[in-house]
Amino acid sequence: MIQTRADTKPGEGTGLWFVKILLGLFIIVLLLVHLIVNHYVGEGALLTWQNVVDYFSNPWIVFMEITFLFVVVSHSLIGMRSIILDLNPARGTMKIIDWFLIILGTGSIIYGIWLALKIASFGG
Amino acid sequence: MVTDTNKPAPANWWRWFDPRQRDIGTWAFILNRITAIGLTIYLFLHLVVLYQLSQGPDAYDGFLELAKSPIIVIGELLVVIAAIYHGLNGIRIGLTTFTDTSPFQRAIFYVFTFITIVGSLIFAVRMFTA
Repeated sequence: MIQTRADTKPGEGTGLWFVKILLGLFIIVLLLVHLIVNHYVGEGALLTWQNVVDYFSNPWIVFMEITFLFVVVSHSLIGMRSIILDLNPARGTMKIIDWFLIILGTGSIIYGIWLALKIASFGG
Repeated sequence: MVTDTNKPAPANWWRWFDPRQRDIGTWAFILNRITAIGLTIYLFLHLVVLYQLSQGPDAYDGFLELAKSPIIVIGELLVVIAAIYHGLNGIRIGLTTFTDTSPFQRAIFYVFTFITIVGSLIFAVRMFTA
């Protein structure tokens, strides 16, 4: 099996496939910023609580991190669905998995938004 | 060619990771799968751990002391390596899907692997010496 192209597969519509690719490209830019800020800039390559609060005091950073959260959670769960589809699961099983992924993704994004706003609120 | 004996099925999942008689393209595919699964697990662990931020400086900075232990730093470095590889491999797949670069996909893989190694070393030096 040689993956030279990102083709759709049975059970994965063109729309979902395109969203996965688009989000992946978007993530590359946001991931670069996230890795440099969080794992390169800080002392010990880690940000302290105060560093994080200062970083989140800029509303554009809050917006960028929430956007990053949304695209990374969506991309990872659509990607997991794509991997599971390669196993040819039964249609009923796939339906259960789909609901699990939707609930996990939605819950994670809601939690992440709450957390980002909570951190921003510490900055006054 | 998919036959009855090698048809993908939940019981055969381990065959994705069987490295025997694979070419470079399939190694790229296997690494893409491994990094995807690893990064997804990390993402949700990361979100859970970041809850400490909402509990104030004592809770989070106390956790940071634990995060500075060598085992955790090695784990973080593996995440960084996986993220760089997965991102660059995504660009390679995007290039060969949407542009006429399929004949060069092997060369692109080698170049991106080299960038992954260099980028990982830069982060490793920073993470272990900062």
